[in-house]
Amino acid sequence: MPTFKLDGKEIPFEKGETIIKAAHKQGIEIPHYCWHPGLSVAANCRMCLVEIEPAANQRAMMLDVLVWDEKKKDYVVSRKPKLQPACQMAAGDGMVVKSETSEHVALARKNVQEFLLLNHPVDCPICDQSGECKLQDYYMSEQATKKRMRDEPQHKPKGQVFGPTIVYDAERCIACTRCIRVCEEVIQDPMLDMRERGNLFEVITSPGRQVEGHYTMMVEWVCPVGALTTSHWRHKGRVWLLKGTQSVCPGCATGCNMWVDVDPRENTAFRNRPRENEAVNQYWMCDDGMLSYDRVYKHRMLHASVDGEKSSSAKAIEAAAQHISAHKGSLAVVLSAQRSVEENIAAVALAKAAGADLYITGKASWDGDKILRNSDQNPNRAGALKAAGVESLPSVDELVHKNHSAILVLGEDAEVANDVVARLRARVPSAPKVVVLATHEQRGAWLGVATVVVPITVWAETDGTFVNAKGVAQAFKRALAPRGDVVTGWEAIVKIAKASGLDTGYSKLSELREAAVSRGIEAAPLKKQDGVSPGTNTPRSTV
Amino acid sequence: MAAGTKVIKKPKRTLADQSFVVELVKGLGVTFKHFFKGLNQMRPGGPRPDVTNFNYEDGIATLQYPDEKRPYARRFRGVHRLTHRANGEPRCTACLMCSTACPAQCIWIKPAEFPVGHPSRGHERFPEEFVIDELRCIFCGFCVEACPVDAIRMDTGIHMTAIDDRGSFIFDKKKLMSIPSQDGDFVTSNDRPEPGDKNYGGITRLQGH
Repeated sequence: MPTFKLDGKEIPFEKGETIIKAAHKQGIEIPHYCWHPGLSVAANCRMCLVEIEPAANQRAMMLDVLVWDEKKKDYVVSRKPKLQPACQMAAGDGMVVKSETSEHVALARKNVQEFLLLNHPVDCPICDQSGECKLQDYYMSEQATKKRMRDEPQHKPKGQVFGPTIVYDAERCIACTRCIRVCEEVIQDPMLDMRERGNLFEVITSPGRQVEGHYTMMVEWVCPVGALTTSHWRHKGRVWLLKGTQSVCPGCATGCNMWVDVDPRENTAFRNRPRENEAVNQYWMCDDGMLSYDRVYKHRMLHASVDGEKSSSAKAIEAAAQHISAHKGSLAVVLSAQRSVEENIAAVALAKAAGADLYITGKASWDGDKILRNSDQNPNRAGALKAAGVESLPSVDELVHKNHSAILVLGEDAEVANDVVARLRARVPSAPKVVVLATHEQRGAWLGVATVVVPITVWAETDGTFVNAKGVAQAFKRALAPRGDVVTGWEAIVKIAKASGLDTGYSKLSELREAAVSRGIEAAPLKKQDGVSPGTNTPRSTV
Repeated sequence: MAAGTKVIKKPKRTLADQSFVVELVKGLGVTFKHFFKGLNQMRPGGPRPDVTNFNYEDGIATLQYPDEKRPYARRFRGVHRLTHRANGEPRCTACLMCSTACPAQCIWIKPAEFPVGHPSRGHERFPEEFVIDELRCIFCGFCVEACPVDAIRMDTGIHMTAIDDRGSFIFDKKKLMSIPSQDGDFVTSNDRPEPGDKNYGGITRLQGH
């Protein structure tokens, strides 16, 4: 592999790769605004200028410049090498590039930074980007001088609503055009455009359009400054109070990698952010995935119930165990494509010990697309089937035709239609006893026939693994402490099995993990950077 | 007598000295002088020295607390107050700098956006709720230092006193805005122009584009 030298360090690159991309792959950041690894090169911010030394037989291209001479108290003629944008310059074998080590580069960055901040309103105290803003970062690292312009800065519209999710502040905009490019290249819907130039530059929505569709949050996500904010996170809190945990989106079978940002003081999730993964979601996520953080607290099933009466989780588990041990012979266990591999393995073990039939449930399919959204709304259908060790499982519709006297349902999300539930319930007096391990109150038809409801954790409250539609197993970590009387999903199953005299053979999450590995479900280990505390803290986007 | 020995003469004492009566009366004289001087100072309207200069003036050094209190220095960090704008709204923009800086984590703010049509919408946000747990507060003053808009101050001069129920130590926005400074002000001397004011920085904002 050819290499070039960046500040004395050998950087390997593939043919045709730019300097900044090769460095980015090695974890070295060359300051930049407009460049994004997932977008085309615009080279308009001029922040990534680097000095490239001429080849051995060539002269450096020099520019005549005026430099202030402190002794003479006057400008004197001097020369400096012409700098090149690292985002556009293709790397060449043996190239010598200076980024941090060149005084010309340092001066260029400082001046670019000063220009960008000339008309900036500096309203960091109310800006939702502050804390993860590139203007702030590079001000500290590259500029750190006071404003010299004495004139009134250019004023532009603030708080413009671009659509149901996006709010635009033209004064904070640095004209990098990332948002416009993401619309054209990733979302493939040119919703945004620009007008004017220089100080008067503004991003505008295309005539007659607003920012809408399934990927509007990506428009905000690529903004390196606070010009674009989402109406969901706008004025909610501060990014440095959040703690990011590596997670996987539970929204569909694509399994986009993401960070769940939670406030540990309130034990609540506040937003999701895409986590870079070339193989799965690159740098992107859809709106439904970005907003799935509200599943953590919205409509949560926080208390158990037995025969429609409120109860404690411990009592509900006992009641569930009684039903299961009483109906061992004709038990049905319904696996869930919504739940993690570990929970499904525990349920399969319970079913085997009781000699029960297996079924599978999940959410109905939705509108997929060619960008990220899979038409299967369940994040772990492949994982649930692998946990059972079969190619396919009967759907819950079949339950109506079988005479099971007890049913254990993992997760209340169901494809089951209301008439199926009605028919199950109508089988008086032989209506089956239904034990539902539920996360949410208002979803899923299963709760309508539940005899016992045990509240269990959502994906963000426990460690787990999802297997996506492509068969890639991906681990996610616990971001929050379980709420209320909620029991960890796999633990609830193991406890029910134990109380009903069945031996699943599992008592720890690590044992379930090993069982998953033996079934060929092995997720790549997550990086260490998770779990850091706020402030120092939320792992920043690498782009 | 060995060489180098110093001979000290025994003092001669008279009978008056020997009996201690005269010295006793003299000593009592000093005691009574101060007693009557103090008595004079203690009478209503008596010549008390200034309480702030106790250490430097002659006279009684005892403060009749709690009837008398020593005034705090003007820089004293007392109970917080939220300063007002000219229109009576809080100056606070709910940036959460104070609650971030607070080592005791006693400040809780819920930021909100101004309603549609409000001149500050888009430019600012405001605290829908602003709560300080004064029991938890350690009165370090970091919140005042951190505030970028001079919205929170500890210049009330009020020493937090004991209240017999804990709930009363939780100061909400209304309570914090009802406390004046030592001088009785609800505003601060720092200028804060609003959109539409003549000295407002945003000259073209209201004129549109």
